[in-house]
Amino acid sequence: MSDRYIFRYIIILVAIVSILLSAAAMWLQPYQRRNELNEQRINILKAAGITDVDNHNAEQLFKQHCTNKHEGDMPYYVIDESITVIPMRGNGLWGPIWGYLGLSEDHKTVVSAVFDHKSETPGLGAEITTDNYRNQYNGKHLLKNGDAVTVEVDAIAGATRTSKGVEEMIERTLKLYLPYFENEQ
Amino acid sequence: MSNNLKLITAPLRKANPVTVLILGICSALAVTAKLKPAIVMALSVTVVTALSNLVISLLRKGIPSKIRIIVQLIVVATLVILVDQFLKAFMYDVSKQLSVFVGLIITNCIVMGRLEAFAMSHRPWESFLDGIGNGLGYGSILVIVAFVRELFGSGTLLGYQVITQGLYDFGYVNNSLMILPPMALIIIGIIIWLQKSEEEK
Repeated sequence: MSDRYIFRYIIILVAIVSILLSAAAMWLQPYQRRNELNEQRINILKAAGITDVDNHNAEQLFKQHCTNKHEGDMPYYVIDESITVIPMRGNGLWGPIWGYLGLSEDHKTVVSAVFDHKSETPGLGAEITTDNYRNQYNGKHLLKNGDAVTVEVDAIAGATRTSKGVEEMIERTLKLYLPYFENEQ
Repeated sequence: MSNNLKLITAPLRKANPVTVLILGICSALAVTAKLKPAIVMALSVTVVTALSNLVISLLRKGIPSKIRIIVQLIVVATLVILVDQFLKAFMYDVSKQLSVFVGLIITNCIVMGRLEAFAMSHRPWESFLDGIGNGLGYGSILVIVAFVRELFGSGTLLGYQVITQGLYDFGYVNNSLMILPPMALIIIGIIIWLQKSEEEK
C-alpha cells in the first residue's frame, strides 16, 4: 500500500468522523444544556433549604419558588420572596470549587449551602459535596470577625486546603455582597 | 451457530478479560463503589467493544497496516465520545458519577486488545459477537464487585436500603473500607482465586 493511499485513507476517515461527531454534538447539545441548567436550579433550591428536588421537577419547582432573579455583575436569586441565594466561586486544593449560599431575609443567618468542585480528592476534599458537610451550614449565624464576616463550621479532617478554600470563598463573597445588599435597602 | 455462541460465552468465564487476561482492572476499581454506575459502565464498554469490533472488521481489508493502530484509535475514540455525549444528555447524574472514566474507555486494553486480536482477522458478525461477549465478561465482573461493595459498604443496592434498620440497632456497621478502591482489588483477587481453584478440579 502506497503512502498516497495511506494519506487518502486517513483524510477520508477523519473527515467522516468529524462530520459524525459534529452532528451528534449539535443534536445532543440542547439536552445537555437543559441538564446543566437543571443542576444549577437544583443547587439554588437546595441552598434555599428545598431539598426534595431532582432532574425531573427542577424546572417546575424553580419557576414556582424563584420570585426574583438578578443578573449582571452581582447575580443573586430570591426564593419564596425571602431567602437570598448568592453564587460563590473559589479555589480548592487541585482546582476550582464553587457553590451557592442561601441567606435569610435579614441577611444574618445562613439558610443552607451547596458546594461542588472540579477535582478535589475523593474521600477528602470531595466531601464538601456531601449532605453531611453542607448541612452544617443550616441555620448558622454570620459572625463578624474584624473586617470580615464568616460562618464557622467544622473543617474536614485531612482536607485542610479545601476547607480553607471554602472558608475563603464564603468570606470573600459575603464581603462583596453584604454591603451591596445594605445599600440597596 | 454453536461456534458463534461460544464467542459470547467464552469471555464470560474461560477467557474472561478481567479475571483471566487481567485487562481493564483500572476502571473496575474506580466505578464499582455503587451498582448503578457499574452497570452503566458495563453497558458503555459493551457498546464500544461491540461496535468498534464491527467497524474495524468491516474496514479490515482496506486499513493500511502501517497505520492500523491509529485507525483503531480513531474508531474507538469516536465511539467513546458518542457514548459520553449520550450519557451527558440522557443520564446526567450517572455521567457525573462516572466522570472521566467514560472517556478513559479509550485506554481500556480490552477494546484495543479485541480489535488487534480478533476483529482484524474475522468477519463482521463474529467480531460483533466477540465484542458483546467481552463487554459482558468485563461487565459481569464489574457488577459482582459493585454488588458486594455497595451491599457491605453502604447497606444499599441500586440506592435502595437493603440491610434493615433492625440490624443496625444490633450494632451492625457499614464497612467503609468497602467504599475505598483497594477493596475492589481484593474482591477481584478473590473472584480470580475462586475461578482458578474451580478450574483445577
